[in-house]
Amino acid sequence: MRDDDIVNIDDIARELRRPAQVDRSFDERVMRHVLRLPRHARARLWSRLTAPRTITISPLGWGLAAASLMLFAALGVLHAKDDFHRAARPIAKALFPTSPKASPAQRVQFVLVAPDAKKVAVVGDFNGWDASHAAYQAQKRGGGVWSVTAPVPVGHHRYSFVVDDSLWVADPTAPRVVDTDYGLPNSAIVVEDNK
Amino acid sequence: MSARLRAFVALTLVVRAAGAQDPRLAQRLDKPTYVAVNAIVDSARVARLPTAPLVDKALEGAAKGSDGQKIVTAVHQLSIRMAISRRALGSNATGDEIKAAATALGAGMSERDLQRLRVAAGKRPVTMPLAVAIDLIGRDVPVATASSLVIQLARSSVKDSDLALFQRNVRADIDHGADPTVAATTRARGLVLRSGGSAPKPSE
Repeated sequence: MRDDDIVNIDDIARELRRPAQVDRSFDERVMRHVLRLPRHARARLWSRLTAPRTITISPLGWGLAAASLMLFAALGVLHAKDDFHRAARPIAKALFPTSPKASPAQRVQFVLVAPDAKKVAVVGDFNGWDASHAAYQAQKRGGGVWSVTAPVPVGHHRYSFVVDDSLWVADPTAPRVVDTDYGLPNSAIVVEDNK
Repeated sequence: MSARLRAFVALTLVVRAAGAQDPRLAQRLDKPTYVAVNAIVDSARVARLPTAPLVDKALEGAAKGSDGQKIVTAVHQLSIRMAISRRALGSNATGDEIKAAATALGAGMSERDLQRLRVAAGKRPVTMPLAVAIDLIGRDVPVATASSLVIQLARSSVKDSDLALFQRNVRADIDHGADPTVAATTRARGLVLRSGGSAPKPSE
């Protein structure tokens, strides 16, 4: 290799090593060019959906669109209502298994012999154990007999008499209920549907 | 169903569930007892057990002047007995059957007795046989004897009206001085023979 060749190569190498002087707008020009290139279909769809744009519509078109929207909304509400009922029914049934149709009631006569009593009431599952419930206050019939005929729903119930608001007495004529929870006696009654 | 509709359904059910609590509990129980009883009732509802007997048990305790701790314990025990009852009687058991069976468990009958009674009665309700068994136990008939007799009567397809008559006759015999076990066994034997079955033994 000749000496002048070496000098030329050195010049070229020096020139190549010199930092490139890039125009400040170079990046922008490159990106504009890149954006003009064909793009992936999915990206194209996404940008079409998300890019802001101005839509112009004629009064007739706008009217038709509004009417369609209202029609769809009305249909949607109807379907949603059906949907709601369909969805809610099994869930409500699961949440409220005993939510119940009102059981039919039979009139039952309760009788207690309590000659010294001033007041006798019947309390039980059928009246929320409420001794002040008007329908379950027994009347004195003479000979120390107290009785009341009151509605009791079909089913199995526990009950008791409350004498003078303080004394709890199990019905001597009814099945007993062994119930040690509260230490006071109860009776049981099974009311059947006569229909 | 849209997310909004799902949220609406959930909200409605929550509101409905919250509103499903019996207002009488709030009126008759003190606050801590009310909260504890409500929690037990909610758990029972989720477990698909009848909730009315639990409310009744709490109201009974309040009417009898029991303290809150006793009421909560009684309601909790009842919820456990109802779960056992449903397991023994099957998922098709009615609320009344579960309630009566829970009372029978409280009286001393076993889960096994309930299962045997269910099998003996087939598809017929076991509410009345259970009420009779509870009554016999309450009149000092041993639990094993009472359970066995009632299972025999159910197996013999004795009608509910005859079971009620049986209970009244046994009570009358005991009131007249008969031994409870002898009275119950004798009356049951007569009833089974009348209905065409073979006479039961006391502890079968």
